[in-house]
Amino acid sequence: MDTVGAIDDAVAEVGKALLGKEAQIRLALCCLLARGHLLIEDLPGMGKTTLSHALAAVLGLAYRRVQFTSDLLPADILGVSVYDRNDASFTFHPGPIFTQVLLADEINRTTPRTQSALLEAMAEGQVTVEGETRRLPQPFFVIATQNPIHQSGTYPLPESQLDRFLMRLQLGYPDPQAERRMLLAGAAQQSPEAALRRCLSPEELQSCRAAAGDVHVADSLLDYLQRLVGFSRERPEFAVGLSPRGALALLNCARTWAFMNRRQHVVPEDLQAVLPAVAAHRLVPSGDYAGDGHALVDLLQRSVDVIRP
Amino acid sequence: MKRAAAAGTLIPRNALVWIIISQFALLAPHLLRLPLWLVLVYLGTAVWRLLVFQGRASFPGRLVRASLALGGCVAVFLSYGNLLGLEPTVALLLIAFAFKLLELVKPKDAYVLLFLGYFICVIGFLFSQDILFVLYSLFTLVLVTTGLVALHRPREDHFRLGSLRLPALMLAQAFPLMLVLFFLFPRIGPLWTVPVKSHAAKTGVSDFMRPGDISELSQSDDVAFRVQFEGDIPPKSELYWRGLVFSVLEEGAWRSLRYNELPGLELRPPAVEPEGEPLAYTVLMLPTQQNWLYSLRYAQPAQRGILSTADYRLYSPVEIEEQLQYRVRSWPGTPLDPELSDWRRETELALPVQDNPATRALAQRLRDGAADSAAFVDAVLQYFRDEPFVYTLQPPLLTAENSMDQFLLQTRRGFCEHYAYAFVVMMRAAGVPARVVAGYQGGEINPVNRTVIVHQFDAHAWAEVWLEGRGWVRIDPTAAVSPDRIELGLEEAVAAEGSFLANSPLSPLRYRGVNWVNMLRLRYDALTYRWQSWVTGFDGEAQYRLLQDLFGSIRAPVFAGAILLSGVVVLVPVGWLLLQRRRPRPLPPEQRLFLEFCEQMRRRGMTRATGEAPGSFGRRVAREAPQLAGWAMQFIDAFEQLEYGGAPRDAAAYRQHLAGLRQQLRRVPGHRHQG
Repeated sequence: MDTVGAIDDAVAEVGKALLGKEAQIRLALCCLLARGHLLIEDLPGMGKTTLSHALAAVLGLAYRRVQFTSDLLPADILGVSVYDRNDASFTFHPGPIFTQVLLADEINRTTPRTQSALLEAMAEGQVTVEGETRRLPQPFFVIATQNPIHQSGTYPLPESQLDRFLMRLQLGYPDPQAERRMLLAGAAQQSPEAALRRCLSPEELQSCRAAAGDVHVADSLLDYLQRLVGFSRERPEFAVGLSPRGALALLNCARTWAFMNRRQHVVPEDLQAVLPAVAAHRLVPSGDYAGDGHALVDLLQRSVDVIRP
Repeated sequence: MKRAAAAGTLIPRNALVWIIISQFALLAPHLLRLPLWLVLVYLGTAVWRLLVFQGRASFPGRLVRASLALGGCVAVFLSYGNLLGLEPTVALLLIAFAFKLLELVKPKDAYVLLFLGYFICVIGFLFSQDILFVLYSLFTLVLVTTGLVALHRPREDHFRLGSLRLPALMLAQAFPLMLVLFFLFPRIGPLWTVPVKSHAAKTGVSDFMRPGDISELSQSDDVAFRVQFEGDIPPKSELYWRGLVFSVLEEGAWRSLRYNELPGLELRPPAVEPEGEPLAYTVLMLPTQQNWLYSLRYAQPAQRGILSTADYRLYSPVEIEEQLQYRVRSWPGTPLDPELSDWRRETELALPVQDNPATRALAQRLRDGAADSAAFVDAVLQYFRDEPFVYTLQPPLLTAENSMDQFLLQTRRGFCEHYAYAFVVMMRAAGVPARVVAGYQGGEINPVNRTVIVHQFDAHAWAEVWLEGRGWVRIDPTAAVSPDRIELGLEEAVAAEGSFLANSPLSPLRYRGVNWVNMLRLRYDALTYRWQSWVTGFDGEAQYRLLQDLFGSIRAPVFAGAILLSGVVVLVPVGWLLLQRRRPRPLPPEQRLFLEFCEQMRRRGMTRATGEAPGSFGRRVAREAPQLAGWAMQFIDAFEQLEYGGAPRDAAAYRQHLAGLRQQLRRVPGHRHQG
């Protein structure tokens, strides 16, 4: 079986745990294959945690879960040095972050201090504790979930930290059939994600990345991408447009998406498919624009033509 | 989020600063006419508005605004004693313009303010149409437009000088159109008029002369009128510009005859035969708010709307409220009134009873010693020459009841009006018909464009004496006292006294000695003449003449055609230049083919939306028109391969690909889209 087939398998496998959400699962996998961190945002009880567990399971990676609370301290994630009486020395006890997939549940319930402790880890794949820099295992993913920011008891992530997440997904309510299947199965199956089989080996994960890098990007596609980015920077509806990092993120995701769709080149549809997940959390509407990031993405897609400048 | 709020709902900082700058620029030309506290109002509102922008003050409430408006009206009333009339109204408008800044919350308020700014820019032309002022107005126009443009750029949260560029460019592009409209747009009579009279003082020589009036006028270096001769300019000593004839002496002052004092037969000038070669010239007169016009002796107007009076003056039935250009022909050698009517003789001999006994006695004595009237005139002039009379701009005030006795026998210091007054009184006392003539004498010849510039300080009064067989003869007693005044002008005549333009130390006329200053002044004057005769003097009549020169007869279709055609001539190059710049790069062939595909689909009722990717569109076509599905997907695949695919672009393969694509496009299934 080829790599892309394995990806399709993984999508189907995660779909067993989270019913009727194939589009979001594909995007989440695309994000992880592009080596990006994933933020899942929705109301409590929509399957955020289920999705993140299932993703870790099908990728066959070691994962730990940290429930973020308001009294969580950086040391609780990164680890501490403890005095060992036998050795008469300090030994470092690594925190839960020393893993391949970190499931950061309800990340916006904790204080900005703890949130920022994740920052270095996410950006550089290493942590510095008590002056000593330690490398994290490879690959390293953060899959974070958060409640919508207007819920009470939350500390919204600052824009700089949002930018570190390659994609932000929203799950939304399941459609009625899927919900019914879930309700029927619910009694029998306590935690469906535990039974999932691993679909992708670390080597395959690695090769996906290399293959996605080989996907061809034509000049006219780059033109289109630059027009999109330029539009977001010029128009008054946008208070904050797409950064160069955002543009690069879009291109990487579009490449991976094209690869997942068995194409050797990126077409505008690939870009449009990943645009909402990649761009919506990076765009800030200006004061007199009623919509949110998603409305801005719609505006982008409707206003910037694929062909003509 | 503060930045986001500033971007949309508020006025961008750049626009605000430009608005305030343009407000001050619009205020500046009115400064000399307005009370000084208005500047404080402008400073106050600008500072207040900037504090609001910084969040350190809030917008005024309803009560404050109402009291500010009321206070402004009261202040104007206190300053002018009136709320009507041009100047108080302009002051009110400018105050409103300043206060509007405090209501500048949203962009729509800025529109009101800026459009008011354009209006205020035009208001300035009620006061001055000088070329420098017009240039300044163009500058303020650019400033106001800059505010307008900056208002539409919400992201500019810093003041940028570069914002001037675009508006300046736009206005420059509009310039040719402005010229076409200026020269060709029909001059429609005013639908309303501004009461200019109430503000503008009457200037120039008045129809009423008391000793001291003209010397007062001589303090002014304003231009009264400019004259362009068609031939050579006569010598300066012959340039007696007649404006008024004073025939009546009443209560120590000379005045002209009123219209209702004239008997029916004296209303029109007696016909005379012109003698000699005429002088043809054009006078460009600045507004005086008076009726009389200036011309050389025996003038006939060469255009409609100008009348001649019985004493051979030119007269305009309407007061001259704006500059007036008129063409005249003069025959200086023609005798005026060769026959004097009884009524006229009686009028020109009348003197108030029993005043100035010493003057009368003197006149009688000189008359007795002279053979005839002409000899008597010479004797009086000789008397002025022999006795120690002084020509001065600062004559002592004549206080006695018999003022001429005081002047002739005691003070003996006077300006032209004193000499003319005394001379005519002596003539009349001795039974020689005589009258005072007022106007201007001489003028400055501008070598740049050969015009004669007549200033207010050239104002002069002289006498006319009626002699048997010669008619009215011009006699200038001032020439007897101070020949320099006539030969060289006022400045030389009073040089020893140092009183020339003593009250205007900055007047460039005082620096005529400095060569380059003088040259600059004369060049500017030549430019002003051109400006006044071609731009501010371009009225309906001048337009009619211009069109007649261009097209012969003027009929409505020709006129409309000329306007349209010149509009096209002017706009086409500008439009072409703009298009040239905007034209998109030509599309590559495969994109053109794709657009052709889109067009074919549009004819089948499926329009590609902006931003709809080719793949999505292809699938939509396949869904909506299943009979086209195979073909459309094939085309789209081929197109995507070519447009986005990684196939190496060697020319041959590319052309082949393209040919395939084109062929596919031709193979569109012919039948119509069902449903």
